[in-house]
Amino acid sequence: MSDRKRLLSLLFVALVGSVFIVATRVRPEASSIAAQTPAPIGEARPLANHLAPDFVLSDLAGQQVALSELRGKVVLVNIWATWCPPCRAELPMIEEAQRRYGERGFVVLAVNQAEERALVADFMREHGLSFPVLLDSDGAVSRLYATQALPSSFFIDRQGVIRTLYRGPLTQSVMAGVIEQLLTEGGDDVSAP
Amino acid sequence: MYPLLELGPLRLASGGLLLIVGVLLAHALFERLLLRRNGAELLQASGSVVYLALAAALLGGRIWFGLFHWQLYAQHLQLWYALRISDFGWGGALLGAWAVAWLYCRWKRLPSAELADAAALALPLAQACASLGLLLSGEAYGAPTELAWGIELFGTKRHPTQLLLLGAALLSALYLWWLARRAVPSGSLFRAWLGAQALSMLLIEALRGDSLLLPGGIRVNQLIGLGLLLGLIWTQPRLERALSPDPEALTAERSDQLSARS
Repeated sequence: MSDRKRLLSLLFVALVGSVFIVATRVRPEASSIAAQTPAPIGEARPLANHLAPDFVLSDLAGQQVALSELRGKVVLVNIWATWCPPCRAELPMIEEAQRRYGERGFVVLAVNQAEERALVADFMREHGLSFPVLLDSDGAVSRLYATQALPSSFFIDRQGVIRTLYRGPLTQSVMAGVIEQLLTEGGDDVSAP
Repeated sequence: MYPLLELGPLRLASGGLLLIVGVLLAHALFERLLLRRNGAELLQASGSVVYLALAAALLGGRIWFGLFHWQLYAQHLQLWYALRISDFGWGGALLGAWAVAWLYCRWKRLPSAELADAAALALPLAQACASLGLLLSGEAYGAPTELAWGIELFGTKRHPTQLLLLGAALLSALYLWWLARRAVPSGSLFRAWLGAQALSMLLIEALRGDSLLLPGGIRVNQLIGLGLLLGLIWTQPRLERALSPDPEALTAERSDQLSARS
């Protein structure tokens, strides 16, 4: 191959490859939820634009945590298990989101599906994760939220309304986009600092 | 999706299990190929290069992943050595294994091109097994799609990235075995394997839903794939020159290698 041909090949591949990479980049998807806070529809159901069904579960320290007590904050209810690879893959993102947005009123409730307390505690310690984990020992909350796939994530706004939900793994851009939007929206009953 | 295989009291991660099976099978195939293509002397001389390359792949893969999750990994040092199959970056594993194997071959004055060619013929087998493991465990999942060939995973129809990776491994194996029957210069098979990796990283990565990202949503593996492709094109003339050197210089070089080995 002559130097000229080699240079042309390099330029062609670099150009086509770069265009392809830019064209297939991951775009922010914050627009996937409604821009305006909707009025909640009817009774509490695990569906978008419905009030989030309330629950009370124990955390790893044995403290009771109720979802309804977090009204005024933006809450991510993430249903997961230690054996689920995509759940594990998104945990660092959730940890990062908690660290980044926690002071602005964002709270994570990671609901572990039917695993032993010691196993979950070891997992959290081993992986350096610090967000609150609630133990759904009998799977009642998983059933309440009609969880058919792990992980399942429910983004709840300051009024306690599920604004968007994902059955399956999240991407970083989706998570950041949704949290940013929900935090930006005001709320009459904001109690977050 | 079957992330766990329960054998009596044992709960084994299917992804990790198939990865290990793939590595063992590929190692056995590598040794057979090396024996058949280059003789027992090189097989014996290659010694621990496979184990060193594997260790370097694990180390490189984890460092790669850690660097792209720096804030988390810097705060929690135990993550660097945690037993997590999913926390490895393919780009780092590839770079680590290649760098260590190349350095080891230079140090021991081993013919790296012959060893790399045997590895290139064996590696698609490991990759095919690993892709099946990814499908069972749900790792390396695709982005959501409405297209007809999507597969149901985590409650959503997704690009079948694991099956595409499996297909890429099988196609590259077919091509490499076809190429191996031709009279090609040493090192050509490994370059062809690298080319297949580059294309796979560039094209299949575009359909993944779990890519490592740079600011702006650019996928890291696609950049590595493009860089690899450009590197292969850039070094092609040097290879051609190296393959048709002055016969006297080649004879002298070969004599040096043989005397060093003996």
